[in-house]
Amino acid sequence: MARAKAKTRAKGAKGKKTAKAKTPKKGRAKAVKAKAGAGRAKTGSAKAKIGAEITAKGGIRMARADNSLSPHGGKLIERVVKSKDEAYKLIRGVKLDMPIKDQIAREIVSMAYGFFSPLEGFMGYKDVEGICNNMTLANGYVWSIPIIFDMTEDDVRKMGIKDGSSVLLRYQNQPFAILDVEEVYSFDKKKMAVSVYGTDEDKHPGVKRTYQYKDKFIGGKITLINPPKINPPFDKFWFPPEEMRARFQQNNWDKVVAHQTRNVPHTGHEWLMKGAWFTSSANAVLVSCVVGEKRKGDYIDEAIVLSHAALGDNGYFKQGTHMTSILLWDMRYAGPKEAIFHAIVRKNLGCTHHMFGRDHAGVGTYYSTYAAHEIFQKIPDVGIKSVLTLEWWYCPTCAEITYEGLCGHKPQKFSGTVLRGILMDGVKPTRLIMRPECFDVVMKSADKYGFGSPFVDDKYLADRNPLMTVPPMEV
Amino acid sequence: MAERYPINIWINEERFAKLQAAGLSDMAKEAFAGLKVLSVMTTETQKDELIKRFPGSKCDTATTKTVELLPRVFKDKLFDLVIQHKSVEPDVVEKAMAIS
Repeated sequence: MARAKAKTRAKGAKGKKTAKAKTPKKGRAKAVKAKAGAGRAKTGSAKAKIGAEITAKGGIRMARADNSLSPHGGKLIERVVKSKDEAYKLIRGVKLDMPIKDQIAREIVSMAYGFFSPLEGFMGYKDVEGICNNMTLANGYVWSIPIIFDMTEDDVRKMGIKDGSSVLLRYQNQPFAILDVEEVYSFDKKKMAVSVYGTDEDKHPGVKRTYQYKDKFIGGKITLINPPKINPPFDKFWFPPEEMRARFQQNNWDKVVAHQTRNVPHTGHEWLMKGAWFTSSANAVLVSCVVGEKRKGDYIDEAIVLSHAALGDNGYFKQGTHMTSILLWDMRYAGPKEAIFHAIVRKNLGCTHHMFGRDHAGVGTYYSTYAAHEIFQKIPDVGIKSVLTLEWWYCPTCAEITYEGLCGHKPQKFSGTVLRGILMDGVKPTRLIMRPECFDVVMKSADKYGFGSPFVDDKYLADRNPLMTVPPMEV
Repeated sequence: MAERYPINIWINEERFAKLQAAGLSDMAKEAFAGLKVLSVMTTETQKDELIKRFPGSKCDTATTKTVELLPRVFKDKLFDLVIQHKSVEPDVVEKAMAIS
């Protein structure tokens, strides 16, 4: 029992409640369900403790799913105008106007739709200082990654940006959002890098990004005045928190476990997702694909999203147990700190559980293998339970994926990196490491979206279809 | 013995035909219920040099301790040298690095 317990653990952020992972056996699932359910009631929001509402539907009495896990900070933020009239009203009188880069545009969309609740805009000095010193916002809520708007000092001066200014932000040459400036400040970028990433080495991509920020930061609320159209094939997977929560409710899902990914799925991922589903007694797995800035050699976004959807479309997860979605976010590779951020965002989406495996959101050798597991022991309960997964491998004797701690045979280890190597060599993986339907989707995506390659290259970076398009808007 | 880091060359039909023609098909080992792979050994110094030379490549330190994501063109050269010298030892990697 103790050994099994060590393999997959579903527990509250402080590790007080542990549901044991076991090989599924008849009669056991029920006991685990009851246990995990009790755990949720203890750590969930006040709303989550309210009993299921009974409603009549088609003559059958159904319990409406209670998926009202409280958003971080208690309130789901929405800062999107409801109409063009409202947008024009807000624009009127705004004299400052500037273009923004892709990262800022993605973060504005994510904040405006509440993915980053309780954030209502770009952080001020006290928020960033709180994150660096205590991993909290100025209001005391846990937060681990600064979300900041940078400008050169020269641009700030030339534009006359100061506290109280409103700035029209343009993206793709169209009016996009309004930033109501509350603060213009500087921050020690080295301090920020060391606090968030645990290193000041600029070969760490998050540190490099931090050092590349301009010298002034603008804090203030944003309002999305011209919501972008999410382009195919991503549009089918775009569910802002309010809509996601409504979907969960329609599906009667009251427990959903999130799987964070930036990779196409191999059978190891699939096995971990299924294990997490079982361990957490979830109704479904939400695959949340991070879509944002790409690096050469990454999988193209389209291949990631569509191949995950293929797992559900082809019955590897039966209908009603699997959903694929996107999150607009530029990975910081902050390891444990990014794990906290992921937990908060998926909580805002309504998920009750979040999977964390080895090297979650890490890069190189900056973080220990299970740093993302350990950090949740050090912070207050953020209200979403971690499902911690450990080492797995493919065993040719068992002829399946299994846990290292359970299997007594000689393994064949593989990873997402090894799978990438196989694909780069032009070899079709066997179905025991990648589902043939997923492989086919990856290769079709390569042809349709990747200029012949499933991997990001210069051509893709220059000419890819935009993830979102801002509609024309006359000002 | 100093640690060595394999480069996995995954064997497709074309590569397998070349191995067979050279009488080296036994060099490829079976992996993952049906794939064939040729593991060419690097020294620690070679591994570091390869990763430096080919940005995007990496040593999968967490799982397999193999050198991964080397460009296809380099692996093709390396494969040809394995055939030519009938060896998967670091001296073949040295030769591939010298001409790449």
